[in-house]
Amino acid sequence: MPISSRFVIGSSAILLVIGFLTLMGIVGSTAWLSEKSNSYIEDSNRSRALRVSAVELRSALQSAESSQRGYLIGGNEVYLAPYDAAKAQALTQFDRLRLLLPPSAQNAIVLERLSKVVSEKISEMDRTIALKADLRDGEATAVFRSNRGKALMDEANLFLSSIIRQADDRLEALLNNQRQNATWLRLVTIIGGVLIMLVVGGATATVFRYASEVARARNELSLLNVTLEDRVARRTAQLAEARDRAELLVAEVNHRVANSLSLVASLVRLQSNLITDQSSKEALKETEARILAVASVHKRLYSGDDARFVDLQEYLSSVLDNVEASMRGQGHVASLRYELEPLKLKTDSSVNIGVIVTEWVTNAFKYAYPDKPGEVRVRLRRLADGKAELSVEDDGVGRADGPAKGTGLGTRIVNAMARSIGGDVEYVAAGSGTIARLAFLAALEG
Amino acid sequence: MRGWWLSFAMIALLDGVQGLAAQQGPSGLTKPGVLPLFEPARPRCAVPADLVKVLAFAQDNERKFMQGVARGLQLAAKDRGLEYRLTQAANDPSRMVEQIRGLLIAKVGALVASPVDPVSLAPALQQMIWSGAYVGTVVPPPATTILNAPQYLTGKALGDEAARYIKAHLNGKAKVVLLTHDSLQFLAPRFTAMRDSLKSVPGAVIVADISPLTVDEAGGAAMMRTILIANPDIDVVLGADTVVLGALAALREAGKARDGQFLGGIDGEPAAVEEIKRGGPYKASVSLASPVFAYAMGQYAADWLDGKSVPQAMDILPKALTLQNLAQYEADVADPASVYRDSRRRDEYLRMYGNICYDTRDQYLNFPWSSERK
Repeated sequence: MPISSRFVIGSSAILLVIGFLTLMGIVGSTAWLSEKSNSYIEDSNRSRALRVSAVELRSALQSAESSQRGYLIGGNEVYLAPYDAAKAQALTQFDRLRLLLPPSAQNAIVLERLSKVVSEKISEMDRTIALKADLRDGEATAVFRSNRGKALMDEANLFLSSIIRQADDRLEALLNNQRQNATWLRLVTIIGGVLIMLVVGGATATVFRYASEVARARNELSLLNVTLEDRVARRTAQLAEARDRAELLVAEVNHRVANSLSLVASLVRLQSNLITDQSSKEALKETEARILAVASVHKRLYSGDDARFVDLQEYLSSVLDNVEASMRGQGHVASLRYELEPLKLKTDSSVNIGVIVTEWVTNAFKYAYPDKPGEVRVRLRRLADGKAELSVEDDGVGRADGPAKGTGLGTRIVNAMARSIGGDVEYVAAGSGTIARLAFLAALEG
Repeated sequence: MRGWWLSFAMIALLDGVQGLAAQQGPSGLTKPGVLPLFEPARPRCAVPADLVKVLAFAQDNERKFMQGVARGLQLAAKDRGLEYRLTQAANDPSRMVEQIRGLLIAKVGALVASPVDPVSLAPALQQMIWSGAYVGTVVPPPATTILNAPQYLTGKALGDEAARYIKAHLNGKAKVVLLTHDSLQFLAPRFTAMRDSLKSVPGAVIVADISPLTVDEAGGAAMMRTILIANPDIDVVLGADTVVLGALAALREAGKARDGQFLGGIDGEPAAVEEIKRGGPYKASVSLASPVFAYAMGQYAADWLDGKSVPQAMDILPKALTLQNLAQYEADVADPASVYRDSRRRDEYLRMYGNICYDTRDQYLNFPWSSERK
């Protein structure tokens, strides 16, 4: 199951808290155990001092006793100096012992008894030395042989051994406590270390897992992108193929329409050739010209690259060449000149423009120069504001105010066609001739 | 018992004193040495001439231990058809000397003595030996047969019993009091043995190793009171029965006596045996079965008069009396003859060394003998 960034943040926070608490635990335990250790060390020092004091007291009493015996045996005063020193040391150590012995009812009794024993022992030694010094050897020996001195020494030993043992036991207990302390410290450090390692391990594992999943997601996305580009390219190719097929189809349709229209125009011409009535013949000829104008658009369309637009310059040139040829074939003598600016127009609009120019040029050939040669001028130019203007100009007889020449169908067709493309038609007399103008709005392309 | 110890303590003085005595016969073996084990099958010797078949006991006092000796001797005399005579010195050395001189004049064939004063008695005993009589003594020389107790072994018997108890019942830990007897140096091996036994229990700590001022119940009690001031909790007390009985009294007085404690003594004092039977803190007493060794000495006295070879020395082996073996011990003491006849049981109590008979009586022991001498 993938992990979320929220999980990563949450788990990292928890692990950090655990790590922090563990660290605090280690620090706290260390401080506490160190404090205990200090306390043990103080206790140990006190116990050690007590032990030293008891041992020193015992040693001083033994030294004093040895010196006393030495003096009693030989009467040599060389023993008296060490005796005095040992006695002083014994009294000093006893005072020290009194201070160091932990206060308790039991120890109070021990001290009281030990005090009596030490005092009596020292008195006994002082007494025998004094007797010896007074040359009362017999009395001194009698005191010595009473064994009281030995008994007192034994008793002092008993108490001092007990104190030394107590100090030893205390020292051993403190040492055990210290050892236990060290064990605890080691245990806490190890457990803490393991916990911190687990926390670090957990955090690292989470980060690695998250990073791995991000990398995997990125790889999957890259793979998807690659697939998408592939699919887009494939789709684009399919669309291009479909477009090519459609264009081919449109071209084919246009070709067929153009052929059909050309066939229709041929049929109309054949019909007109068979008809003897001149007006009907002309009407058919006009119809043929109109059909050829439309057919010409389709010819342009199937031969061009884009079926949506028609190059008016080429298209109108073709239409005008056909009309001129047709007019000359019918015996009209006017000449045709045209100036066409390059301009592309939508196919529907282009058909209308072609029909309109056919009507106007046919009319000019037929009616502007009924009996003499003249020039018909066709111009296509751009105007401002995205407009274009088609004009057919002649220097003929001009438009009379009388009844329309012909059937009037041409004028109706022109008006209808102009309306359908939003154009404005105007006829202007110019000199002797006439200028027919069509201004129309169209999305023009140069 | 105390008289016996005092006699033994004076042995050391003997060597110097005997040299001053008038010599009327061989001085015997005066150089301390080690005796081989007794060989019962040694060839017979001559039968002592001009001696009457009487077994006499010169008793120092009427303490329990010596009453046991008297009873054992009397039983042996009866079993061997000897006349039994008893003289009581009542702790008077000169009286004992006089009594023995009387026995010498009466040509008594066998004498067992428990000397009040070994030094003053030695010449009289030597004269008895020179007369051809069998002379057995309880510990001090001179004698044709010396009876002694191995002191180290005696202490070891008690120490081992205490060590066993500490291991079995006190989890191997105990605070131990040793009530020694510093005024009698020859008893020191007993306490050395106890210390050695306790070394086998690392948890046993000797908190007091001290001699009471007087070796009796009062001395033991006084010392224990002092010890309790320094060491209020005591688990084990070892020493002579009398002082340990005193220590027990002090423990009871202080309310510190517990059934789980181990108090043990040496000597098999009746009061100690009673305490053992009661099942309290008193757990053991090492006893020297006086009727048993006395019976054996009576038998050897009769053998001597029959011309047989007898031991020069005899150990009475210590027996640690506990609640478990007390009944058997009492049965053995009540009937020493059956113990003597049963070699296995006899070996539990007695060990004999050296050989001597009427013909070789000049080899009598005239030094303080101990089987523990190396």
